[in-house]
Amino acid sequence: MTDMKLPLALAELRPALGEIVGQGLKRAPYFSILLSSNHGLTIVVDNREERVTERPPAAGTVLSAFDGATNFERAIGGFNLGKIQSAARDLVNGISFQKYTPQAEPERRGDFVTPVLIDPLEMSTLEKLDRCREVQHRVKGSDPRIVNIQVIYNERNEHSVFADTNADLAQRVQRVNMFLVVIVAGEAGEVRYDYRAKAGSAGWEVLTWSDEDIQRTMDGALALLSAKRIEPGEYRIITTPGVSGTICHESFGHGVETDMFLKERARAVHFIDKVVGSPLVNIADDPSQPGSYGSYFFDDEGRMAAPTQIVENGVFRRGITDRYSATALEIPRSANGRRQDYSRKVYARMSNTYFSPGTSTLEDMIAQVDHGIFLDKWSSGMEDPQGWGIQVTCHYGHEIKGGRITDRMFAPIGIAGYVPDVLQSITAVSNVLEIDGGNCGKGHKELVPVASGGPHLLMTARLG
Amino acid sequence: MLNQIVEALKKRTDLAGWTVRQFQTREVQVYAVPRGIESQREVDGEKYLIDVLRNTSATDGAPAVGSGDASLLPGENIGHAIDQATLVAGLVVNPVHGLPGPAPFPDVAICDADLQKDASAVMLDVMERMRAAAAKNPDVRLTAAECFGEVRNTHLVNSRGIDAEQESTQIDIEFVLHSQKGDRESETFDAMTRRRVADWDLEAAIEDRARYTLDSLEAEAPTSWQGPVVLRHEALTVFLAGDNLNGSVIQTLASAESKYGGFSPWEVGKSVFHDEVKGDPLTVWANSAMPFGTASGCFDAEGLPAQRVELIRENELVTFVASQRYADYLKIPSTGAFGNIELPPGKMPASALLVEPYVEIVQFSWFNPDTITGDFATEIRFGYLVKNGIRKPFKGGQLVGNYMEALSDVRWSTEIGFFGGYLGPHTARFNSMKIAGPE
Repeated sequence: MTDMKLPLALAELRPALGEIVGQGLKRAPYFSILLSSNHGLTIVVDNREERVTERPPAAGTVLSAFDGATNFERAIGGFNLGKIQSAARDLVNGISFQKYTPQAEPERRGDFVTPVLIDPLEMSTLEKLDRCREVQHRVKGSDPRIVNIQVIYNERNEHSVFADTNADLAQRVQRVNMFLVVIVAGEAGEVRYDYRAKAGSAGWEVLTWSDEDIQRTMDGALALLSAKRIEPGEYRIITTPGVSGTICHESFGHGVETDMFLKERARAVHFIDKVVGSPLVNIADDPSQPGSYGSYFFDDEGRMAAPTQIVENGVFRRGITDRYSATALEIPRSANGRRQDYSRKVYARMSNTYFSPGTSTLEDMIAQVDHGIFLDKWSSGMEDPQGWGIQVTCHYGHEIKGGRITDRMFAPIGIAGYVPDVLQSITAVSNVLEIDGGNCGKGHKELVPVASGGPHLLMTARLG
Repeated sequence: MLNQIVEALKKRTDLAGWTVRQFQTREVQVYAVPRGIESQREVDGEKYLIDVLRNTSATDGAPAVGSGDASLLPGENIGHAIDQATLVAGLVVNPVHGLPGPAPFPDVAICDADLQKDASAVMLDVMERMRAAAAKNPDVRLTAAECFGEVRNTHLVNSRGIDAEQESTQIDIEFVLHSQKGDRESETFDAMTRRRVADWDLEAAIEDRARYTLDSLEAEAPTSWQGPVVLRHEALTVFLAGDNLNGSVIQTLASAESKYGGFSPWEVGKSVFHDEVKGDPLTVWANSAMPFGTASGCFDAEGLPAQRVELIRENELVTFVASQRYADYLKIPSTGAFGNIELPPGKMPASALLVEPYVEIVQFSWFNPDTITGDFATEIRFGYLVKNGIRKPFKGGQLVGNYMEALSDVRWSTEIGFFGGYLGPHTARFNSMKIAGPE
């Protein structure tokens, strides 16, 4: 079993939290404490230099007092008991709370740890650096057009302790990812690149690179030198799981964060129990999914992780919540109250959001397309919960002609359209489920680790 | 604690150099939803970042340098943190590079005096002004707003004798205006950052967004378009300066780090454009000394003094923006961090750039070009087709193209504006851009 490795400062503070919560509750209707420590490491190895740096650390304490109308918080960098006790007193003494009876919650106690086979916290920095060098060396010098090869390794070591009247919880969430980036230059001096990533709530066991992975990344980069821009228009498209996941994330991920309902920003609020997609469409958010990059055991408001079925057979069922929006909207809570770090407030945020797999094979789906585009790789997306417009950008895609993928490549490709129209057009869903890890912002800030994915989807969308 | 760290570092004989930075922050955050104040937060932080350099050697025995870093919270073990950073530095093998030495620092204005005195009062006042401005228009509602005000003190000391301190302020606001007409709903979301409240005309900003919100109720999807596209104010700022999620193309391609890494094909003394420049010649400064610029400071993370660096003159690259490390690698002068982007005034008044027909893009969903290739295909959140004296609102469609190609055929206005991270012409007419409509 993986060791919790709770930082000493958190371990020493934990026994005192119950008393501070008790003091807070003398004035506030609800009071909680979160101790949050996020550290990490980034290693970059390329042809010309190496960098080993700490990820910007964020470690501190959040005191929350809630009266059903306003969430009052004090956030203090670090874990000094005296400062926390003093801040807790200042927080509750300075406020006139409304009368409010919090919803009863079950007792939650326990310590939880991401299971890892090769624990980053047990490895030396040299071992990690050498592993990155080894991957980089496997690609180096394979083609004269390759001007650089970067291997980028990131680890996030997250520890949190949460306490309220009914909770005494601790977790260690271990996340890792690695990018392989191949940069090439053409004869006219143009620079192109392709990349591949591995990620998970896991240890180094998920960061293995096959020769095929490496070859495909090099081939992708070199092929991009002759890629063209696509003629804008409506196409039959097949999305890879990564692209499917990004569509899912931007549409029925951000679009169903219920703080957006409260702010009148989400069109989804008008579609509860209504058809929003083809009957083949099922979407879930599940922070308890083992191994996925966006997983955790409890959220930043002490809610135990559990799946939420967002869309069921094409019908929108429910959104994902934080405490505040669930209280204000009088809807059931889900375990999606997350904060970037101690210095930021909680919002309703995704964890692992994905289309559920179907029954088709990819080969059958490709065979159904006479003229279309196979969208290989996503590069970015942006939400539009009110307009329900899709903006997903793909790094590249391939032509499908006569039921076969050709060598003709287009880059970059933007996907646009109205979410329900696009989801209604889905006519086949493959029988695989793959989930990519990444970071997600709320608008342009509040980054949290998430994952998204799904199967291949056959649908119609506007490309440009 | 800073003195203790510095003293401990001075005693280390195994280091080739070191830098320590102390950050102390205090922030007030106010969040509003239609039913009232959702959350009020006060945030305090203090941390120390230590960077060390150590002499190492390459496999062939050539001299090399390794770098390592560590962070500390107040009260944490200083010796252990320095040991960790030193250990890591000993593992890394890079070309020899050093740290900057002492130099005069410019006195760059980066503080809001009122915020320094009482951040809470300032942020509650900003929130109230936003509410009051929105309330002036009965057809729109402010359905969400966030106001953050931060005071940050940075103290940097390095082994070459730099000992510098600066205080800065930053204000971030976000707001959503919502409107409804029958079954049709519309919203305008905006986010802005400034060093001081006085650099905003909040009331005018809200009034503009209220008009967009109402016009958006009438907006349809655009038809495809190939022709003049006008960007103004914030939309132009995003195009030129990028945002906090995505830097700008110019910033990426003009960086010495990108050049060293093989990402940038740009060459000093050569045009930054592949093709003929049909529009106004491009001149750009990277200015970290711009008063109240959101990316300004008296010194950067290495302790290099702020500068106004002439980056591109009449289409030709003058220099790369280089930290000390990449300056040493490429044997070029160090410039310090990029800072803010500045362009000179154009030659035509804005009114002369608004010759019909043209498309004005008011807001992108997210303008995020590939910062290496410059290619983009970005959804348009809201804009106008201006033709025959009529401003017809639209939303949707994608602006498709290449960043440097777009800049090779643009006219800039003589009127300039300051937009936090950008100072320069407030209007630009790109003569030939493509919008992919839904048909």
